[in-house]
Amino acid sequence: MLFSSIPFLFWFLPCVLLFYFIVPRGLKNTAILFSSLFFYGWGEPGYIVWLVTAIATGYVFGLLLERFRKRDKISKALFVLSVSISLAILGYFKYSDFFISNLNIMTGSSLPLLRLALPIGISFYTFQVLSYMIDIYRGDAAAQKNPIDLALYVVLFPQLIAGPIVRYTTIAGQLKERSLTVEKIALGIRRFIIGLGKKIMVANLLGELCGIFRESKDKSVLFFWLYAVAYSLHIYFDFSGYSDMAIGLGKIFGFTFPENFNYPYISASITEFWQRWHMSLGSWFRDYVYIPLGGNRVCVSRHLFNIFVVWMLTGFWHGAAWNFIVWGIYFAFLLIIEKLWLLKSLKQKRIWNHVYVIFLVIISFVIFDASSIGQAFSYIKAMFGASGYPLVSKEFLYYFRSYGGVLVVAMFAATPLPKKVWSRLGATPVGGDVLVIAEPLAILAMLVACTAYLVDGSYNPFLYFRF
Amino acid sequence: MKKYKDIICVAIVGLVFACLALAAWLLPSKEFSDSERRKLAQVPKLSLSSIEDGSFVTKFESYTQDQFPLRDTFRTLKAFLVYNVFGQLDNNGIYMADGYAAKLEYPLNVSSVNHAADRFGYIYETFLADKNVNVYLSIVPDKSYFLAGRYGYPSMDYEKLFAIMQGKMSYAEYIDITGTLDITDYYKTDTHWRQEKVTDTAAKIAAGMGVTLSGKYSEKVLEHPFYGVYYGQSSLPLPTETIHYLTNDILDGCKVTNYEKGTVGGIYDMQKAAGKDPYEIFLSGAVSLITIENPNYQNSRELIIFRDSYGSSIAPLLVEGYSKVTLVDIRYLRADFLDKFIEFNDQDVLFLFSTLVLNNSETLT
Repeated sequence: MLFSSIPFLFWFLPCVLLFYFIVPRGLKNTAILFSSLFFYGWGEPGYIVWLVTAIATGYVFGLLLERFRKRDKISKALFVLSVSISLAILGYFKYSDFFISNLNIMTGSSLPLLRLALPIGISFYTFQVLSYMIDIYRGDAAAQKNPIDLALYVVLFPQLIAGPIVRYTTIAGQLKERSLTVEKIALGIRRFIIGLGKKIMVANLLGELCGIFRESKDKSVLFFWLYAVAYSLHIYFDFSGYSDMAIGLGKIFGFTFPENFNYPYISASITEFWQRWHMSLGSWFRDYVYIPLGGNRVCVSRHLFNIFVVWMLTGFWHGAAWNFIVWGIYFAFLLIIEKLWLLKSLKQKRIWNHVYVIFLVIISFVIFDASSIGQAFSYIKAMFGASGYPLVSKEFLYYFRSYGGVLVVAMFAATPLPKKVWSRLGATPVGGDVLVIAEPLAILAMLVACTAYLVDGSYNPFLYFRF
Repeated sequence: MKKYKDIICVAIVGLVFACLALAAWLLPSKEFSDSERRKLAQVPKLSLSSIEDGSFVTKFESYTQDQFPLRDTFRTLKAFLVYNVFGQLDNNGIYMADGYAAKLEYPLNVSSVNHAADRFGYIYETFLADKNVNVYLSIVPDKSYFLAGRYGYPSMDYEKLFAIMQGKMSYAEYIDITGTLDITDYYKTDTHWRQEKVTDTAAKIAAGMGVTLSGKYSEKVLEHPFYGVYYGQSSLPLPTETIHYLTNDILDGCKVTNYEKGTVGGIYDMQKAAGKDPYEIFLSGAVSLITIENPNYQNSRELIIFRDSYGSSIAPLLVEGYSKVTLVDIRYLRADFLDKFIEFNDQDVLFLFSTLVLNNSETLT
């Protein structure tokens, strides 16, 4: 079920809220657990089996890992087994066909592809279960004895299918005890509706533009650039909008989830970009892969190797295709170059640093969005006028004019400026008084506007559902 | 102050949210959307198989969207946001130029145009090639032909479309009507042309087939307001239009046989005036096979028109030159079976299709 859909907003959510707020305190976790399972099973009920398997794996191995923590060999064996089971399920669904097709290419064999449908959110919930088991193995967390609470950690619907990737240690306390206040609910409503607006009124429109470009038979160099810029903004608003909605919904139910984006497009270096983009995934790889590999407390060559491995895996996490791996390696090289040579000069904030980051990120998302490596390179070639396309085309001119307003809004909203302006306005005596009424009305207006777009049945897929 | 702001936020957003949700749950379902001219989705039936194959979810989503309270108001709001807040140039492919709502029909779908020409070629080869018939082709340009270039909207390559059709239909004499038409000949909110404005176009087509029309009609106005197909699609509060229709003694004396319904009547089907699409007063709208018999024409000259909906309003103007006009819509009647209904011999045969249908010809059989 999509957050940005009428069934979710006006059917599922009101029922869950009603259910959640009327059940006694002791049953709230059960209420939200069953609501989350319903939410997950809405589109594809068959996938619940794999979700329950992930929960069961986490629960059983969590208890075992804690029980045998002092017996090193058993503990290690259990740890390897638990991680292997989780990764095997993820690998089976997500990567089987990738490996089979590459094996076929390399060996000339013709093994049939499995063509498995990817259970929604499997990459996210598998990483959550993995982090839980790793934390117990390391002794950083105590195993959850209550299966309802552990299940709730994994399936909590606001963050179940597209993150943020929540660590068990972050919400272990909240699973037992959380407070609900008007302030939290108001904050949650604001955050959720702002996320909804980012998704519906910016990401979806830019996604529409990207779709038009892909279908166009009247491409031109500038149309390629328009697409690349639109896609870079689209993916940001799509994913950060979803994260805002997840964080907002979490607040409404009393949970505090980690932030996932922090205005990545204002970064002055690629290193900074990755400290601001998909932060929950970045920190997961840092804590569970990069640091165990030795991080930066090793010799230079090993440090560079660690970076390379982490970013290749980050790319591979996003999808079972070579373009995602190349995308990850692309960032590995950029980060290595920055670490070795550029980072000091990039720390002096200059306009060119931002141009450098935005240019490289735009190129990266062309690779990310491509259906193959070949298409990625042909698009990049076309952007630099090396594919024989004309500079301008009739369709480019039309769609540039038609989507220019959305692009300007998106570029402005991708910076902290709107928030700063709003805060400064609120800090003035008159502005503060006005915002008491104006801010709730603006939030309401955004909800109504989003509803209008949904009722009209506009373009509305979620990009990160495939990960 | 912040505390008050939070309370107001929770109260007003919660109230509106709860009202919309309750209205969505409790309001009775509507069968039909007048503005969109389509049936609305209803509550889907719940079954194990519909859950398993995902059809329940898909249908339920359509149902919640179609039956949402204040649906038309929300659609109008969305159109307002699209045009006035984001400054987009079209909403769902409908654009406004010079007060006219038109559809972006872009780019030229060459395979569709070829498909249309192939279907017409099939009809010619199967039923007409060895008969004593005169074959003509005329193409009705859609509104974008007049608006797109002038107002900077992309449009199909019309000249290429005309050239493909003429090239592949060399057996037909081409009657170019683009010179007799301009944008004022079309309804502002609908795709179609206005009958009272296309008498010169009818005369041009007739002349192309060697027929002279007197062009004497009296103009009548339909009392019912007319909201064209783009009225609903644009979702904008566009002004109401009126349908004018032409009559004279010849038209009044004609007998129209609707083979689909087995009914006999006149040129104008006034039962359709208060219906969902008043344009259907012209020969009852989309009908697969219709004949118009003109008892006032003394000879036995006949015309067969292969046509789309544009033909409904212009065909009556051609009747004057024929004893019988047969209108065939091969979107609803399989071309394979034409000889079961029509005897082809010694007739004028006109292929009269709009650029919109030629560019989306998958429905031509």
